[in-house]
Amino acid sequence: MKRRREMKKLDFTHRLDISKSLDEEKTQILNENDALSSSLIENEKILKSIYQDCSDVVYRKFLIGRETQALLIYIEGMSNIEEMDKGVISPLIQLENVNLVNIQILLEEKLTVSKATPTSSFQDVIQQVSSGNPVILINRQIQGISVGLGKWEKRAVEEPMAESVVRGPREGFTETIAVNTTLIRRRIKSPQLKIKKMNIGRYSQTQVAILYIDGLADKSLIEEVNNRLGRIKIDGIMESGYIEEFIEDNPFSPFPQILNTERPDIASASLLEGRVVIMVDGTPFSLIVPTTLYSLLQSAEDYYQRAIIGTLIRWLRYSFFLIALLLPSSYVAILTFHQEMVPTTLLLSVAKSREEVPFPALIEALIMEVTFEALREAGIRLPKQVGSAVSIVGALVIGQAAVSSGLVSAPMVMVVAITGIASFSIPRYNAAIALRMLRFPIMFLAGTLGLLGIMLSLIAIIVHLSTLRSFGVPYLSPMAPMQYSEMKDVLLRAPWWSLKTRPHLTGAYNQYRQTNGQNPKPPKDSE
Amino acid sequence: MNFEFMIKKALLFSLFIISSFILGGCWDQQEVNDLAFVTAAGIDKSEDGKVELTVLIFIPKGKSSQQGMEGGGGGGAADTLFRSAEGKTIADAMSTLQEKLPRHIFWGHCKVFIFDDDLAKEGLSTHVDFILRHPQLRERSRLFVSEEKAKDILSLIPPLERDISEVLKELSSFRIGMDVTAKDYAQMLIGDSNASALPLIKILPSTPGQEKQTIAYVTGTAIFKNGKMIGDIDDSVTRGVLWLRNEIRLATISVKPNGKNDGFVSMNLLRAKSKIIPLIENGKWKIKLYAVGNSNIVQNTTDLDLSSPEIIKPVEKQLKFEIKKRVNIALWEVQERMNADIFGFAEAFHQKYPKIWAKQKKRWDEIFPSVEVSFDTNIKIQNQGMNSVLSNHPLKGVENK
Repeated sequence: MKRRREMKKLDFTHRLDISKSLDEEKTQILNENDALSSSLIENEKILKSIYQDCSDVVYRKFLIGRETQALLIYIEGMSNIEEMDKGVISPLIQLENVNLVNIQILLEEKLTVSKATPTSSFQDVIQQVSSGNPVILINRQIQGISVGLGKWEKRAVEEPMAESVVRGPREGFTETIAVNTTLIRRRIKSPQLKIKKMNIGRYSQTQVAILYIDGLADKSLIEEVNNRLGRIKIDGIMESGYIEEFIEDNPFSPFPQILNTERPDIASASLLEGRVVIMVDGTPFSLIVPTTLYSLLQSAEDYYQRAIIGTLIRWLRYSFFLIALLLPSSYVAILTFHQEMVPTTLLLSVAKSREEVPFPALIEALIMEVTFEALREAGIRLPKQVGSAVSIVGALVIGQAAVSSGLVSAPMVMVVAITGIASFSIPRYNAAIALRMLRFPIMFLAGTLGLLGIMLSLIAIIVHLSTLRSFGVPYLSPMAPMQYSEMKDVLLRAPWWSLKTRPHLTGAYNQYRQTNGQNPKPPKDSE
Repeated sequence: MNFEFMIKKALLFSLFIISSFILGGCWDQQEVNDLAFVTAAGIDKSEDGKVELTVLIFIPKGKSSQQGMEGGGGGGAADTLFRSAEGKTIADAMSTLQEKLPRHIFWGHCKVFIFDDDLAKEGLSTHVDFILRHPQLRERSRLFVSEEKAKDILSLIPPLERDISEVLKELSSFRIGMDVTAKDYAQMLIGDSNASALPLIKILPSTPGQEKQTIAYVTGTAIFKNGKMIGDIDDSVTRGVLWLRNEIRLATISVKPNGKNDGFVSMNLLRAKSKIIPLIENGKWKIKLYAVGNSNIVQNTTDLDLSSPEIIKPVEKQLKFEIKKRVNIALWEVQERMNADIFGFAEAFHQKYPKIWAKQKKRWDEIFPSVEVSFDTNIKIQNQGMNSVLSNHPLKGVENK
């Protein structure tokens, strides 16, 4: 007991250490907030101390008009050097009139690059240099010039991997935030589309953009997004998943409360519904808030294919959602507790195939499900060349060998396979993961309490879902609270000309998408 | 810190929950491998006032496994075995039977109960009580009375179906004879008429050398009065009973049209419906059988041209007469000879004349044989079939056109 208390004490002091080091870092950063001095040598010294041991930072000294010392700082590989030679260095070196050496004049008259801004503090300079924009410091000037010539290798716009469609745009977001905002801007050309940027991450300084349409998105929602993002204090952000976990409403729910997408068309459509899109530099996945359960079960293609097909596919998805969640547990429950529920012939053939299986149905189901999950995981992580080998082995192990060796019955293989297919048919990967996870506790309950257990777990899930909120919007809306007018986009996929209003919880500010009476009809005879 | 505390709390909580399942949850869990699925059961009367219960159990062996002859009661079929045990009641016999079976007897899929007629003559209501009371047994299981020992019927190996329960289930679903479930039977027992009926089955004679390779089939109806079997009627009489009970579904009727002695017109009945309308007039109890339906001509062996309405009319008349004849035979057998109201007349009177019924219900046994039955049948010939040419004079039919 005493030892434990001591350990706790130790723990505490350790934590103190951490907070201390955080403070130290802050003071160092505060230094950078200082304004640039007028002495170039001084500035150079400070910058060199800041960028100590950074071999990729290039310092290029030159004279403007053969007199004034100037220093160009940039990071190798992050700037467009040819443009810089042409548009910055050569006009400066060839400058004749030395009186012109003044930041404003240089900016306005001499520099032939389209983007150049004055910088006045060390923090500014560092930020610009770090994000690839070369900075020119000039002797006896208290401002520097940052030239927007950042250019680095980036992936081209490609077809999104995780959300493919048969019909629909093939463009996907890339890792570069500027490209991503462009992809949205190309779809929504109105100046009402607002893009606010901020940097998050003490070290990574990751650019995060908040996109919304002014006049469509709820103002308090935008403020809330701003607030929640502003609260994040972290060393670095590698993916939008970091941010998602910081800003979601219920961090311990298995269900994702924030939609992520790498499709610009989905992001744009969400913006038009009055939602807010959060983009993070360095990942193609942008976040959409608020999100409801039903939007997790929708695919972009629902809106591109014909309405009737869209409706049918939606229902197919809803039923497969339930199958993915409940099929193995129902099988276990019925086979261990409610044998009288199965049609006789079916039961007899199941009994035949189960005759030599040594495990109870619950264990059998767990074995198969866990194996299947492992195979799936292995298939995702492995390099593509090995992946096919895994799938062959998996198909053999799961399908043929397990049955013929008598470890698992053939109907169980069917159940697991159908469950697998069902969870693949859910368009959002993170929603499918939630189901995969919930399947196991339900299976346990089914194996111990039978259908009663399944009902209990379903009730628990539904209660949980109805307490969830995503940025103030009930997770089950528009089903709970019921909004009959929105059923046309949940139970059905009504044709576009009848989807007149936006979802009311996000689009109440500007209710109507389109004018009435646009359904195609024969022209009226005009006399 | 908060997070760790929460995890600790969650772990403790889930431990409680999990242990509650393990401690109290699995008590009624039964694996399929531990169950013996009874698909049919037979109850016979044995010598010393006891009953003998025979159950047909499905052997869940895969096709690759050997199909041995098992069973204490004799050879089983390819994938069924039957065993029997004696006892004072069915439940008693069942517990004796369980001693001889390594698996739990599971009644949830027992769809067929066969009683032998010796037992039926003593009364079935006490045995049906077991079927209705036991939680696993289905009220929808079908009841049959057999002329042979139920045990012998269960030992048959049906060549076409999985086992005898499947055969009997399918046969009675055609509604050629009566189709009575345990629930129906219980309703008859508590009904006003005090009479009930069950389908009667018999073993179909098999080809010599393969004595067991046959089935049992429905040959008629066993008639019960006051819970005891008092007699039986055959197949064709049963058809008349079905008309009165509005249970007719499938029927082929062949008539000899007026004045023609050289051939038949056969018709298939479609959508037949019947209804009995009770009437008490001047103290006389009457029933009117109201029947409507359509029929298709399926064969014509006469030289009548059935495409003309003038010829169809008398055929229709003949059809009505045929139906009337069938019903009358049934009435004669059941009403007059056995005095058992299995047609539901008593309920009909009860519903229409509740006050008179309350006074007279004790006299029903006296009233019933004298109830007059009149007919109002309206069976139309809807369709003369695909063949418009006369069958025995094909060329004549063509010339007429």
